[in-house]
Amino acid sequence: MKNGHHWALIIIVLALSIFPIFLTGTPLPDAARSFWESSIGQPRGWVVTLRELSPLLIGGVAVLIALRAGLFNIGAEGQMLVGACAATAVALQMPNVSGAILAAIAGMVAGALWAYPAGWLKAYRGGHEVISTIMLNQIAVRLTAWFVKSPMKDPNQIADTSPRLAGAAEWVPVASFGRAHLTWAIPIGLLLCWLLWYWLRHRVAGYELQAVGANPRAAKVAGVNVSQITTRAMAASGALSGLAGATIVLADQGRFYENISAGRGFDALGVALLAGGNPLFVIPTSMVFAILNAGTSGMGLEGIPKGLSGLILGGLILIVGSLRTKTGGSDE
Amino acid sequence: MNDFLTFAMNVVALGLPLVLAALGGLVSERSGIMNIALEGKLLGAACATSLVAASTGSPILGLGAGLLTATILSLGLVWLTQSLRIDHVVAGMAINLISLGGTNFAAKALIDQNQLSGAPTLAKEMYWGLGVLAAVVIIVGFARTRPGLHLFAVGEDPHKSRQMGLSPIRVRVGALLTTGILCGLGGALILTNAGGFTDGMTAGRGFIALAAVILAGWRPGAAVAAALAFGAIEALRIQLQGAPVFGVEIPTEAWASLPYIATLIALTGFLGKTSPPAGLGRI
Repeated sequence: MKNGHHWALIIIVLALSIFPIFLTGTPLPDAARSFWESSIGQPRGWVVTLRELSPLLIGGVAVLIALRAGLFNIGAEGQMLVGACAATAVALQMPNVSGAILAAIAGMVAGALWAYPAGWLKAYRGGHEVISTIMLNQIAVRLTAWFVKSPMKDPNQIADTSPRLAGAAEWVPVASFGRAHLTWAIPIGLLLCWLLWYWLRHRVAGYELQAVGANPRAAKVAGVNVSQITTRAMAASGALSGLAGATIVLADQGRFYENISAGRGFDALGVALLAGGNPLFVIPTSMVFAILNAGTSGMGLEGIPKGLSGLILGGLILIVGSLRTKTGGSDE
Repeated sequence: MNDFLTFAMNVVALGLPLVLAALGGLVSERSGIMNIALEGKLLGAACATSLVAASTGSPILGLGAGLLTATILSLGLVWLTQSLRIDHVVAGMAINLISLGGTNFAAKALIDQNQLSGAPTLAKEMYWGLGVLAAVVIIVGFARTRPGLHLFAVGEDPHKSRQMGLSPIRVRVGALLTTGILCGLGGALILTNAGGFTDGMTAGRGFIALAAVILAGWRPGAAVAAALAFGAIEALRIQLQGAPVFGVEIPTEAWASLPYIATLIALTGFLGKTSPPAGLGRI
């Protein structure tokens, strides 16, 4: 808290998060109870929270690896969409266990391919990765919308949706607590957090990646191939985002429809920023975002529109952003 | 001929919100503030215009509310990036999230849905006139006036311009105030075109406007041309409705992606190298 501006920001964010509830006429205690019960206060809340957790966990790691290399991957949303779409296409062709695994790999490949141009543009043509990933996001939304309207559409449905995956192609839960399922996506996400942490800390390549993120010019002088690392970091980030998208289909929804990622790519950026560059912190911060998403969607039953989550998450991102002004030397 | 006239009218109707937003984005980026929040400003303005016009019955109050909302969001970006030193990308993205969430909330919680579609609006021609005026003023002002040069200087190098006796923060506040007004007009025009507010109605137009700025290499005349060209693509898409062109069926999603694809190609620099303002996004 350097000065009064930070307090002003916190007050504004709190006001934006709480004041709208008064406008709906729902008493605050009722809204709070609804939030609590539909996130972690009751088993039915855990069902939703755990479902929300896996794409945020994996997506958070995805954005974080780019962030450590000094890249803002605003494109996680689009990479999730193409990843989810590709995974669905494979899983529909191969309705068995190997199909479920291949589908996840297809999601990763699609995500990496979707992120690659952004990394390449940044590394070799000086194009800002934020601009290119924004453009790629918009193209991804329209491309996947076309897929689900034409080649992948379930002819028996009126709405634009892919057919439901056959049972075996969906990921089976590792463990179940009542109706709350722990799918494979969560152990995989936890493992990825640890792997990235280990890699950044104990591997030369991980060290080089951070050197590029901290000061590309100095890294270059020290003999690091900055362009190559930038391209690879972006592709790796895309691959993980694609995997996160694939888990939305494989471990949760069981089919693909337009805009299935529903802003989770942007949530993932919040998760990574809140984690402050440490992959292990992605675990608690993705939980925070999962609880917020589950809680605010539960408040919908009390007549509080879901837009409230945007106000809260946006505000949270601002507070985090104000605490760490520079998240990696993106240009300097 | 009649077809052509309809098409031309559509280009103007669909292109002008993009022109207004692109000019807004241009002024902001020229002053050194990276603006990925144009989408949020357009959406906020469209929502406020519709809510206030519907509840008061006055289209002028509606437009006023739209301008005010976009300006608050725009000045918010200055505060967040200059006083709180938040990264420009993070701040812009958060503003988009807040606007998307806030408009969804406001439109659902505050007002009866049926009332929204009947909101009175001002004549489109007024917006068209203002759009043309804004374009002329900015194109001329950029090259030939003192404020235009100040804007340029602050965007290229805030430190040196401070040594020259300029106040970068003051120039940026002025610039983002302009951005807010232009985006407010753009959002109100999008609403006027559509007739009523729907959730997320700007549908990426803020990003198309940003694309126009980048494609134009941060030059005002070129930005206006790019925005109009993108308007023409949208008009073609609507007119064709997925009908085949020269025997090839082009899905409407492909048309809608064209501006973004063009911008990606422009970013490769193969079409001629353009460079953003040197101080863009720093400090």
